Amino acid sequence: MDLTIPLATLATVGRIFLLIALAVFTGHLLAYAAIKSRRFENVYVPLVNVFESIPVIGFLPLVLVAFVLTFHGPIGVELAVDFLVFDAVAWNVWIGIYQAFKTVPLHLVEVSDNYNLSFWKKMTTLFVPHSIPRVTSNIFSSFADAFFYISVSEVFTAGAATASLCPGGTCSTFGIGTLITQYTISGDYTGVYYCLISIAVAVIVVTAALSRLSRWALAKFGVDTPGVIKRHAGRWRGRLVTSPWRAFRNQTNVFRGYASRLRANPREGQTEVGSVWRARITKYAGTSIAVAVLALVLYGSATLAASVSAQTWYGFFRETPQLLEYVGADYLRVSLIALASLALAVTVGYVLATHRRTGDAALPVVQVLAAFPSPTYFPLIFIATLPFLEHVLPSLYTEVYIFVLGFLSCFYYVFFDFWIGVQAIPSEFVEVTRNYRLPFLTRMRRVILPATLPYMITGLSSTINSAWAGIAIGEYWPNIAPTVAPNGLQVKFGMMYYISSNMANGQVAAAAYVSLLFAIVVAIYGIAFTRNLMDLARKKYVVEEGIFAA
Amino acid sequence: MAGPETKGSTVLEGRDLAYSYPGATKPVFADINLFTKVDEFIAVVGPTGTGKSTLLRVLAQLIPQAAGKVFLDGVEVSRPSPKISLVHQSIATFPWMTALDNVRLVLAGTGMDEQEAVAHCKKMLSVVGLQGFEGYYPKEMSGGMRQRVAIARALAASPEVLLLDEPFVHLDELTANEIRKEVYDLVFNPATTLKSAVLVSHNLHEVVQLADRVYIMNSTPAMIVDIVKIDLPRPRIERDPGFLDCVDELYKGLNLKKAKS
Repeated sequence: MDLTIPLATLATVGRIFLLIALAVFTGHLLAYAAIKSRRFENVYVPLVNVFESIPVIGFLPLVLVAFVLTFHGPIGVELAVDFLVFDAVAWNVWIGIYQAFKTVPLHLVEVSDNYNLSFWKKMTTLFVPHSIPRVTSNIFSSFADAFFYISVSEVFTAGAATASLCPGGTCSTFGIGTLITQYTISGDYTGVYYCLISIAVAVIVVTAALSRLSRWALAKFGVDTPGVIKRHAGRWRGRLVTSPWRAFRNQTNVFRGYASRLRANPREGQTEVGSVWRARITKYAGTSIAVAVLALVLYGSATLAASVSAQTWYGFFRETPQLLEYVGADYLRVSLIALASLALAVTVGYVLATHRRTGDAALPVVQVLAAFPSPTYFPLIFIATLPFLEHVLPSLYTEVYIFVLGFLSCFYYVFFDFWIGVQAIPSEFVEVTRNYRLPFLTRMRRVILPATLPYMITGLSSTINSAWAGIAIGEYWPNIAPTVAPNGLQVKFGMMYYISSNMANGQVAAAAYVSLLFAIVVAIYGIAFTRNLMDLARKKYVVEEGIFAA
Repeated sequence: MAGPETKGSTVLEGRDLAYSYPGATKPVFADINLFTKVDEFIAVVGPTGTGKSTLLRVLAQLIPQAAGKVFLDGVEVSRPSPKISLVHQSIATFPWMTALDNVRLVLAGTGMDEQEAVAHCKKMLSVVGLQGFEGYYPKEMSGGMRQRVAIARALAASPEVLLLDEPFVHLDELTANEIRKEVYDLVFNPATTLKSAVLVSHNLHEVVQLADRVYIMNSTPAMIVDIVKIDLPRPRIERDPGFLDCVDELYKGLNLKKAKS
């Protein structure tokens, strides 16, 4: 019996969880620094948002070169792949822990300050336990994100830049993503199917385990747990049962509760009662870390900028209008994907949220589907549909594939957030809509959509951020199915194509320049869209504020 | 259990009502029989956990009963109806709507002309003393004003019965007292369609001040253990010995664990 496929699956899952563990560990340290130092927080949070939006996939060859040249051979490739997977899992976990630390109840912080608990004690007795439900919830998304990349991260044909570094120019490390790519390239679709089955088993097992972990974490560490005590005769009597989605909901509510407090007390709702010297050390340490991080970013940028000749820079500037059009084209693609995801969320998501039995049956299926990495099965869809689509939509079929891949990679964020938002609407409001028999459209327009706006913005923001990953893969996938498409899946007009193709051809500076433009656009978008809409939502659409219980 | 003699014809009636939480083996309450007559204000009291708020939701058909039936004007009710309006304990007003919009919400889908609807809602806001505050958002209002908005919303739906789930519990005593009087007046105000009201409360003084009849719930599962008729003249004064006697009688009733036979 050939154990290659199960072993490769285990290797991939093990790699992902090791890197998630690393992200959790570092996330706690960084989050603590962020809540203790406003300066560090001001650098940390925007950077995490920007890094979350820019798919590192386009830069893998660069990362690969750096690691392989530094560590040589398979270790270098392994570290490069680990870096990519870490990039996929870290931001989500980090921001989750940061939010958890920010929502530690004020009275508990006061107790820990009151008794002068040490850093270690505070972490082990308050901050880490409080973050556990949030972390366990976020691990699910991180796992899904990490798996999303496996078929393009574990094996990589790096083009001219790395042709001499790996045998045949193709660098790979042991894992299920590598096997799938190898089977696809050699046309062994039976092998691909076995790999997909193996992934399905892994996803179902991990999803089930994470659900249990989430329930346990919420029962043990949740604040105002919304779960119900399930009463059985026997040893399991009194065990707390809830769903992982309730776990998400609870966390979101806690965060929003915190948001309300934050308005009342702009200084993070925390009382700085402790020795002055300790506060000073924390402040200076935070500032130092912030300065160090900024310096690293600036140094990296400056080094890259200096390595490029003035003539090349001039060429970039001249190309800027064209590059911005590429960025615009990709934003249009992302917008279509986001709109489709939103439409699915407010229709199917609403039905699942309001029909309990249907929801209970359908949600685990959606959860598994969301965790199942679309790039692993997408080539099969591509192979099966290419002749038809090429014939029916000769000039648009690539756009359809990019749309589908992007949609599969991110629809679930806004879907689940909307679902959670509907669940979180106070029962009093639901009763008002039922009591007065509000028509469906009135209910949606006047009650459901406004009440879920903060959730929708959060979900839409994550959907948009993640759509870039799907687009990054879809716009330049040269070896998606060599048997039916020798040139692969490529779109000529798009920023992600520009980045990926330039990286593959060793044009690192050109790819870096358009990425810089993209980062600026992402930052503007972050302020114009996410922050402003979130501000509006928090100002006017916090549904809990409609319940007066003075 | 036969109740004491009452005036008018029956408006709302719950017959042999029982309720169990999904999956639970024991009912929260069982064999509940209660009714309201025209121009009658009734109250339901009982210790915490006896299912008083749940009973109101069953009467409003917001949740289905495990057994029994609910009738309005002699016709069985099987789904929520604006004719039976619930006012919540936690004052529920939509924060993104003005007072007027909050009230107008219940007229959506009724086919009422826009101008007529606005006039109707303004009138209801005026009835609860909120004329001039139509454009205010709930955040800009006190708890008492918000509860008035919620009551105006309930009235705008032209209900026959108002179900009040501890509506004054979050208000200060002065405001609560003021709104109590207003609510009582509303039940008998010809400008409204209200015929009767059912109040759930822990505050026995409030109950004696408002109610014509009081149903006392107790025991496990909860049932009606006593019905107390309050015949005091109105307006009722708390220092009046008769008032205090009624409060005492309710206290005694609350200590009953089984229904009087």
